Amino acid sequence: MADEGLTPHRRDPIKSSVGNVAAQRRRQNAVTVGKERRESLVRAKRLCRVGTSGDSEVSVDNDMMVDEEQSILETQTAAAVEELKGKGAMHKRVDALRELRRILSRFEFPPVETALKAGAISTLVQCLSFGSPDEQLLEAAWCLTNIAAGKQEETKALLPALPLLIAHLGEKSSLPVAEQCAWALGNVAGEEEELRDVLLAQGALPPLARMMLPNKGSTVRTAAWALSNLIKGPDPKAASELIRVNGVLDAILCHLKKANEELATEVAWVVVYLSALSNVATSLLVKSDVLPQLVERLATTNSLQLLIPVLRSLGNLVAGDSNTICDILVPGHKVIEVLVKCLKSEHRVLKKEAAWVLSNIAAGSVEHKQLICSSEALALLLHLLSTSQSDIRKEVAYVLGNLCVSPTEGDGKPRLIQEHLISLVSRGCLPGFIDLVRSADIEAARLGLQFMELVLRGMPNGEGPKLVEQEDGIDAMERFQFHENEDLRNMANGLVDKYFGEDYGLDD
Amino acid sequence: MEWNPETLQNLSQCFLHTLSPSPEPRRAAEKSLAEAAERPNYGLAVLRLVAEPTVDDQIRQAAAVNFKNHLRSRWAPSPDTGSTAILDPEKEQIKALIVTLMLTSTPRIQSQLSEALAVIGKHDFPKSWPTLLPELVANLKQASESNDYVSVNGILGTANSIFKKFRYQYKTNELLLDLKYCLDNFAAPLLEIFLKTAAIIDSTASSGGSAATLKLLLESQRLCCRIFYSLNYQELPEFFEDHMSEWMSEFKKYLTTNYPTLESSNDGLGQVDELRAAVCENISLYMKINEEEFQGYLNDFALAVWTLLGNVSQSSSRDTLAVTAIKFLTAVSTSVHHTLFSGEGVIPQICQSIVIPNVRLRDEDEELFEMNYVEFIRRDMEGSDVDTRRRIACELLKGIATHYKQKVMEIVSVQVQNLLSSFAANPVVNWKDKDCAIYLVVSLATKKAGGTSVTTDLVDVQGFFTSVIVPELQSQDVNAFPMLKAGALKFFTMFRSQIPKLHAFQLFPDLVRFLGAESNVVHSYAASCIEKLLLVKDEDGRARYNSADITPYLPLLMTNLFNALKFPESEENQYIMKCIMRTLGVADISSEVAGPCITGLTTILNEICKNPKNPIFNHYLFESVAVLVRRACQRDPSLISAFEASILPSLQMILQNDVIEFLPYAFQLLAQLVELNRPPVAPNYMEIFKLLLLPESWKRSSNVPALVRLLQAFLQKVPHEITQEGRLSQVLGIFNMLVASPSTDEQGFYVLNTVIECLEYNAISSYIVHIWNALFTRLQKNRTIKFIKSFLIFMSLFLIKHGSVNLVNTMNAVQSGVFLVIVEQFWIPNLKLITGSIEVKLTAVASTRLICESPVFLDGGTLSLWGKMLDSIVTLLSRPEEERVEEEPEMPDIAENVGYTAAFVSLYNAGKKEEDPLKDIRDPKEFLVASLARISTTSPGRYPQIISASLEAANQTTLLQLCNNYNSPIV
Repeated sequence: MADEGLTPHRRDPIKSSVGNVAAQRRRQNAVTVGKERRESLVRAKRLCRVGTSGDSEVSVDNDMMVDEEQSILETQTAAAVEELKGKGAMHKRVDALRELRRILSRFEFPPVETALKAGAISTLVQCLSFGSPDEQLLEAAWCLTNIAAGKQEETKALLPALPLLIAHLGEKSSLPVAEQCAWALGNVAGEEEELRDVLLAQGALPPLARMMLPNKGSTVRTAAWALSNLIKGPDPKAASELIRVNGVLDAILCHLKKANEELATEVAWVVVYLSALSNVATSLLVKSDVLPQLVERLATTNSLQLLIPVLRSLGNLVAGDSNTICDILVPGHKVIEVLVKCLKSEHRVLKKEAAWVLSNIAAGSVEHKQLICSSEALALLLHLLSTSQSDIRKEVAYVLGNLCVSPTEGDGKPRLIQEHLISLVSRGCLPGFIDLVRSADIEAARLGLQFMELVLRGMPNGEGPKLVEQEDGIDAMERFQFHENEDLRNMANGLVDKYFGEDYGLDD
Repeated sequence: MEWNPETLQNLSQCFLHTLSPSPEPRRAAEKSLAEAAERPNYGLAVLRLVAEPTVDDQIRQAAAVNFKNHLRSRWAPSPDTGSTAILDPEKEQIKALIVTLMLTSTPRIQSQLSEALAVIGKHDFPKSWPTLLPELVANLKQASESNDYVSVNGILGTANSIFKKFRYQYKTNELLLDLKYCLDNFAAPLLEIFLKTAAIIDSTASSGGSAATLKLLLESQRLCCRIFYSLNYQELPEFFEDHMSEWMSEFKKYLTTNYPTLESSNDGLGQVDELRAAVCENISLYMKINEEEFQGYLNDFALAVWTLLGNVSQSSSRDTLAVTAIKFLTAVSTSVHHTLFSGEGVIPQICQSIVIPNVRLRDEDEELFEMNYVEFIRRDMEGSDVDTRRRIACELLKGIATHYKQKVMEIVSVQVQNLLSSFAANPVVNWKDKDCAIYLVVSLATKKAGGTSVTTDLVDVQGFFTSVIVPELQSQDVNAFPMLKAGALKFFTMFRSQIPKLHAFQLFPDLVRFLGAESNVVHSYAASCIEKLLLVKDEDGRARYNSADITPYLPLLMTNLFNALKFPESEENQYIMKCIMRTLGVADISSEVAGPCITGLTTILNEICKNPKNPIFNHYLFESVAVLVRRACQRDPSLISAFEASILPSLQMILQNDVIEFLPYAFQLLAQLVELNRPPVAPNYMEIFKLLLLPESWKRSSNVPALVRLLQAFLQKVPHEITQEGRLSQVLGIFNMLVASPSTDEQGFYVLNTVIECLEYNAISSYIVHIWNALFTRLQKNRTIKFIKSFLIFMSLFLIKHGSVNLVNTMNAVQSGVFLVIVEQFWIPNLKLITGSIEVKLTAVASTRLICESPVFLDGGTLSLWGKMLDSIVTLLSRPEEERVEEEPEMPDIAENVGYTAAFVSLYNAGKKEEDPLKDIRDPKEFLVASLARISTTSPGRYPQIISASLEAANQTTLLQLCNNYNSPIV
């Protein structure tokens, strides 16, 4: 555990003096209460409607999906489970399983609750016993997959089935069976941390990891998806374990390089969690050839589903390892270009993530800052600062703020880069920052105040106070006079006193 | 403390006595409770008493208040208060009892216990109190099932107070983990109760249920809304995003539905409005930070709020709702969705139907103007009007102007013209229109540096001033239309720097005249305007108005100012006193003016000593005395005895009656008087000096800086008196006491440094060993960087004053060889931390003299120390402060006199000027290289070798450069 642990997502604290725009920002999303943006695009839990094997026998269910009466459906479900419990011949059992699976996969709201009440789980677990024919295993795992795609307590009902589902992931199983089991487990892992811990303790990770190795179509995709659910923490243990499995790193690289966009998307999500949580994984990924692949994907795809995890991975790697920035900014790499592409996108998540990556680059060396300043990004950023939504504005403010201070050395407080400050202010960024000061988001307000301090202190010829005054900045700061956040209150009052204070004494 | 009938009886008695009107039993009870509070399980016992049904209700209430305060000071006391913390087992028992107890108690006790619970929650929740939230959820469920809304509201109220911690905090992983825990456990039950209550409200309202029932239900919804706000403050939680439509449709309902049963009474309307205001806060929050997710609801809400405001703006109460609703529209106007305002006619409509009606004076404003001028001024002039309708309505205009500046400017200037024409048509009836116009112009202006001062491009300031403001100021009746007069004075004050001197000064007699207005606001504003005018600076940084300008008006001005203090309610008017102070600081003070002024000020001083109330007024009063004494005596030193005759009796009274609040001021004024005196000092002062030497005088920490200041004054003025009758040993005793503690050691050094500076070596020689002993003890036991720096400065001063030989010998006399140890371990490594120009110069010169003159350093054997010292000196002199000094972590200041509240406030006008002890040395750098050059000639070749061996490369370069600059080569 020595090098493990969550990197705090909080940006470096400000020292006692105002004016330390967080010079280095860290990996984000370690803890979040917000909706994981991934889920609006790719669900953490998935219903399996069409078979995984591509085998015509199971995959084709051409009956119309009529909206049957709820009560009829429930009766059918209970009957199917009863039928399954009966000790019939092998083929009868498979028929019963198939009927139950059919019911569980055809409707938008499958009657999972009824199936559970009827005692489906214990019977399904029996169906998974070793030596059962593949068809039976496949149908049983499919049923379990769709049960696990239900509500929380329905997912939890799978607990007794987990050891067998994991056992069937192994090399001895047929690929369709293994994949279906992986799917079921992926649903379980997507539910909550507690269940992830159970799966990890029961050894689900290594066989899933190995399924990612060979390139066998949907198996890899399903395994990657299940793994991305399994390692998403917040404990970094699983992520570190995964990257150490032999061949996984190469497999990731290979898929990122060659795979179609759908598979690449799943693999990119694995990289997102690896890089967000594990320092070991981050440094191994950086040493491998993953960065150019990520940049290449960003340059060539227009799929939002793919762009999001790739961009976030890039951001995590840049934030996690300061050398990364040097690596990706070598000439010939078009990082800034692809980030500009994302900033121009219509999609909020992309803009925000791109600004976030840029803020980490902007926290780097003076050369890196100049690279941004001389690119197309700067104009875009300035525009976004005054026109975009609050969360993007905040990210953009970090970039612009970081451009104006030099990297910290040791204990050091950041120093001002006057040239950049003057350039940004002359291009009209001050009103945007003063708007931030008025923001309801106190982190944004703090950024606004920090930038204002740079302007007050750093603009030549004592121009700063005049500029702030013209943009009604005094009023913006005075709002904090009685603010509940002590830090902000002190910062704002301190600035007002220092730069706009009334003369107390009148010396003759 | 054991819980038994006897304890119950004793505690009950005590709490009963704390309610007693006569002071003696009350104080005794308070004292014994304070003692009991030190014992373990006191809190638990009081809580049990609160729960005891047999005890009288008022006793239980008093106990509940005491319990809450007990927890506040002792649940997690900060180390510097010295309070002992409640022990863990007692805490656990309290936590186990409090929820149930709170829910079953009467409303008054419930509110106290709820606050107490919030205190615990602030420190323990959630990590150290894992049972709380499940307990609350279970109780909520139960109360909801039995439709017991008194309990529901009690639980929601508690939840509301513990969740407030999620507001206004920076986002950290730790905070988010706590938040996540609360969301996982509470988000769903919250929505459930909210929706359930909503349904009950609908059916109760439609079936004509009672107002009392509805009120409880609406309060419940309001609490849900406040919890919603806390839980959504950091970011949009997943659960709330998934259920946004459920929340929003109820929110909208409360903004658009009327509840006639309730709204027919003011009280009931207030309840509905509180809920609506809470809803507005929530949608404003979403509008500000979740623009995208909220977008789909925006149009509906904008319309609902708009409609609501149409009604509310016409009504003269309903302030909170008006303010929060307008804030929502402001949030929309500055957001990415501002195009809502771009439609034809929208902005004029807003201006007409929302802004103007809310800016117009209402009866409440007039009432406040007359009844509570302090509060009126605070809101009108000093920015605590953030939540008044007038201000918020103007904020809306400013918000819209972010994207539609031109349009807003045009519309507002038209409005202002309309208002002024309406006034012109019938000034007596329509005077409020003019007030409204003035208010709009002032509020929409941009704030400028230098306190209350603004600029605007809405109107031509000078034109507006001449045509609108001046007629008011020149109006002969100072008491007519006082609110208009106040508005005009405020305008003058705010735009003071833009009114040309000539123009402004013509109005000066009018300002003096308005000091005589009966309205407290008007005479305060007149005083404030004069005071601020005297602070105006021109472009060249010089004061625009000087003593020559005001001299002709001075007698009348002072008379009117002192007279204004006689108006009812203005006896302690801080604006007038500040104006007196400012005037005395600018005017040329002749003895004709000084006499009445000192009489006036001491009369007031004697009066307020009886019962000090307004600290700001008091402060300006003391400043006024100080500035008067300082400036008048500068002009005419013979005035001092007259001043003494007036002031000393008052100061003596303060000392005798131990008027705690004023002691620091009194000592500072005394110091000022002593300094102005010519020896021999009057016997009166020597009496005070004796008082000063009593250890008791120094027990209150707030007195210490002022006492040090006074002691310094005596030491400088009458050094010979000090050395007599063993007084010096008393002074050094005080030094000893101060230097022993990190919180006062700096003050101790002030005393010691003054002794060294003012007295001859003979006078102090017999004490020096004691001094070193005291300092070495501190150095061994409890050294801080601050202490070491002060120690270094003291040694330097000693060396400068009494020579290096004395320094080395006296230190070594304490312990042989200690001097070099201290040089190596403390002097050399810490020299670079010295700050302040006088201090840097002093220590640099002393260090230079040490290595260039002291036999200890020149005799050889200390070569490496010599080099290191030089290295430190070069660092000290060549690098900017921020490069050499690391920030010292704040040391917790452990106050030794707990329970004392008065604080030391420095008097600017009685301040001491820092003296440079080395006036004859101009430049320490020059001194350094010249000294080095000089000694190098005695043994050429020796020093360059040491320098290249022991100085940092950068410092070698710097030194070489310095030698070149001053043409003093080291050979």
